Amino acid sequence: MVEFSPELLETIIRAAALIGAGLALIAGIGPGIGQGFAAGKAVESVARQPEARGLITTTMLVGQAVSESTGIYAFVFALILLFFIIL
Amino acid sequence: MHFFYLANFDIEAQAGPRAIFEIFGIPVNDTTVIGYAITLGLIIFARLATRNMELIPGRLQNTLEIFLEAIIDTTEGMMPGGGRKFLPFIGTIALFIGISNIIGVLPLVKNPTADLNMTLAFGLSVFIFSNAYAIKVKGLWGYLKGYAEPMFFMLPINILGELAKPISHSFRLFGNVFGGSVLIALAAYFVPGIIPVPLMAWFDIFIGLVQALIFTMLAIAYISIASE
Repeated sequence: MVEFSPELLETIIRAAALIGAGLALIAGIGPGIGQGFAAGKAVESVARQPEARGLITTTMLVGQAVSESTGIYAFVFALILLFFIIL
Repeated sequence: MHFFYLANFDIEAQAGPRAIFEIFGIPVNDTTVIGYAITLGLIIFARLATRNMELIPGRLQNTLEIFLEAIIDTTEGMMPGGGRKFLPFIGTIALFIGISNIIGVLPLVKNPTADLNMTLAFGLSVFIFSNAYAIKVKGLWGYLKGYAEPMFFMLPINILGELAKPISHSFRLFGNVFGGSVLIALAAYFVPGIIPVPLMAWFDIFIGLVQALIFTMLAIAYISIASE
């Protein structure tokens, strides 16, 4: 059984929290791809039907904001790891 | 070796709630105080706007009518016949969250919605409202039977899905507003001056208004789904 000193444990926890915060932000890939896809489809729709521009923009923003939420959860967890786990 | 270390960056002074005084031993957050101030402002505005109601509206009454008609039209589009019926609930959510999200542009004022207590309260009230309305429309047995649709073994998944709604609903708003204010605070900490201003315009005004719209539309959607 290896005994760790409290300072070493604190350092390990801090390092693990920082690495975890970085890893959590990998989740930003998903919403980025999804939002770009939605925006591209909206551009196609506006090009096909320019008179429906307002409705398409509103629908796109709503859908993007909903699909963004996974990224936002990851961001919140990263912030918690950065600011509240760090001793 | 010197590098920026965030440990001496005081996150609670910049974003999120912080207890500023106590009433009978209960700590009161500054976000709560700002929330009550917004409520008071909305009540005073509504009183002033409807004091002398006329057929040809004055300036204040006209402003209020524009907001209310927009909310009624949005509700009516997703739930036909429900626009006037749900106006008190939906309108309260839309106006309060909209103002809470954009009030962060004022200096030294935190967004009340950057406090998880506030958004969770809204999420839970939407959850209770939609379930109570579903019980009222479908009856208790019909409501309980709705969880066993389409097959009986879907029961735990449906219950979990229902319980996840208020959490995702409130965390989405909280995460957007809190994350935005943290990014603004970090930018103001490292690059004080010019950089935080467009960030504030983006996060507090644009993202804030979009998120208020999302929260309102999801509340309408949850109510209309629950009562089907």
